[in-house]
Amino acid sequence: MASAESQPRFGQSVKGLLSDKVGSCSGDVIALTRQVLKGSRSQELLGQAARNMVIQEDAILHSEDSLRKMSIITTHLQYHVEHSKNLQDQLRHLLN
Amino acid sequence: MSREALHHVTGLKGKMAATGEEAAAMDSISRVPPAHPTVLSLGGSSEPRGEPGEPAADGQVVPAAPKKPTSSSDGGVETAEEAVEPDINELCTDMFDKMAIFLQGELTGTCEDYRLLENMNKLTSLKYMEMKDISINISRNLQDLNHKYASLQPYLDQINQIEEQVSSLEQAAYKLDTYSKKLEAKFKKLEKR
Repeated sequence: MASAESQPRFGQSVKGLLSDKVGSCSGDVIALTRQVLKGSRSQELLGQAARNMVIQEDAILHSEDSLRKMSIITTHLQYHVEHSKNLQDQLRHLLN
Repeated sequence: MSREALHHVTGLKGKMAATGEEAAAMDSISRVPPAHPTVLSLGGSSEPRGEPGEPAADGQVVPAAPKKPTSSSDGGVETAEEAVEPDINELCTDMFDKMAIFLQGELTGTCEDYRLLENMNKLTSLKYMEMKDISINISRNLQDLNHKYASLQPYLDQINQIEEQVSSLEQAAYKLDTYSKKLEAKFKKLEKR
């Protein structure tokens, strides 16, 4: 009885060892992948970069608003200069 | 090693049969009434017996017990192996596919972070390009304004000169006014004398 049972035990132990080995190898691969990702610190760096970008967004929008206001002001100055040129022409006409 | 194992198994068959027959005999004695001669004749021919004195009902029952583990072990193991091999292949394929999917998922997270940053950078670059266009327009307009201001400069200088002259004229007028008032006062004094 014992020897007859040992043969299936032997077969099961080989299978069990094989399955354990496969499981351990797959676990090692998974752990290696996770360690590589952790070691690259990509999550931290990319997250920090995204946070910095969000912080800078307000400054970028403010700069854009300021530039648009400057463009409006230069347009008004151009109108003033055009008006003064018209006045110059009128003055020249009057003096002549 | 496999042949020795098979011989060992076949050697065990007889022992298992004997022990199984003994156990089955004990059970049958406890449960079944004494065997009939018809049952004896039916059960006698098929299986080898260690103890022919036992009831034949046991003989029918006996072969069932040891058959399970060892009777067709040679063919059974081979057939089991043949039946298991394709399952192992499928299981291995399935395992590697799922492992690949898992690793793909692990790496996809980082890829998505990079894509997010890439999109944010693209949008920021578009914003900066718009700001660049606006600033180019502003610089062009300011250059035109500077040129027009330079063309107006002599007139502005003339205006400044005119202003200075007018202010000096005003001061001269004030001085003249005060002198004329003094002169008037002296004249009146002299008139009174």
